Amino acid sequence: MRIVIAGGTNEADFLIKMFQKKKHQLTIINADERVCEWLSRENHVSVYNGDPSKEYSLADADVKNADILIALTPRDADNLVICQLALDVFNIKRCVCVVSNPKNVEIFKKLGLKSVISSTYLVAQTIERHSIVDNLIRTLPIEEEKIVLTELEIDPDYSIVGKQLKDIDFPEQTEVNISCIFRDPDVIIPTGKTTIRGGDRLVVVSTPESQEMLIEYVQR
Amino acid sequence: MKKNRVLIIGLGRLGSSIATLLSVEGEEVLVIDKSEDSFRKLSDRFSGYEITGDVVDADVLENAGIKSAKTVVATTNDDNMNIFIAQICFYIYDVPNIYIRLSDNNKKKLIENTNVKAIYPFELSMDEFKRLREKERI
Repeated sequence: MRIVIAGGTNEADFLIKMFQKKKHQLTIINADERVCEWLSRENHVSVYNGDPSKEYSLADADVKNADILIALTPRDADNLVICQLALDVFNIKRCVCVVSNPKNVEIFKKLGLKSVISSTYLVAQTIERHSIVDNLIRTLPIEEEKIVLTELEIDPDYSIVGKQLKDIDFPEQTEVNISCIFRDPDVIIPTGKTTIRGGDRLVVVSTPESQEMLIEYVQR
Repeated sequence: MKKNRVLIIGLGRLGSSIATLLSVEGEEVLVIDKSEDSFRKLSDRFSGYEITGDVVDADVLENAGIKSAKTVVATTNDDNMNIFIAQICFYIYDVPNIYIRLSDNNKKKLIENTNVKAIYPFELSMDEFKRLREKERI
């Protein structure tokens, strides 16, 4: 693949090393002459020195028809302009736009960019997801903990979505039984032919030993 | 006459002169700049509001009342910032009148298909040069 990396210092260096390993063809543009020299020395690549938000810099670096451009400058407005020039003028197929202000993720999407990334935004999402998971797995030990009831929320991208119960291949020696499915507003006592859907909440009976494997398996 | 709300972002010489002009004409003018220092450029005849803030955070625009603004003028010394402001105004807030300054004519493409009106100092200077030269020939 032909990849263009516009701006960035350590992030650019990291990506260059990663893409070099995978033998991608790289074009690197950076406005800072010293960063250019450093990146070039570190990675034995040629780095084009120019402002990537200027059309002539992108033209000189010959980025036309590249597969992906990644905009990494520290200024959000610059990255917006770089990506829009790449898409509109240079016919680059995909752009990844990094932003420092997390609020610009939603705004840049409204302005036509598909992949907008903010590290703060990702951190927030990760934290949210973790706390959701922790809340949703509720367990209830029964008969002096010989068995446990586990309630699991099914995310639409889990791999068991769309499978019938009889086709779910739990790992060997997992002693589990899906006894009930909450599917708003219904409560279903499933048979082998019941299909799992995203948003379902499963109530599963299992031995305490199998519980961990069960959660791991379902959340794939 | 009902006052129209005008936001002027970036107070260089152009921004502060436009701010004074519209303020004297009786519009409700709000000026926004990153640096408080730049408000010194405003003339004594300016009677609008001064807001210190970086519009790369859209909350600054919202707090300045962009939703009810009739006109936004982006005259920061950074083309990319002016384009960013113009696109937000057009695509997100439906601002009826948007004016920006662009030093780089090539960036015209990024505001095509919008109602954004751009001022190109380069083109204006070039036209003036041609006009002066024309005079000399006669």
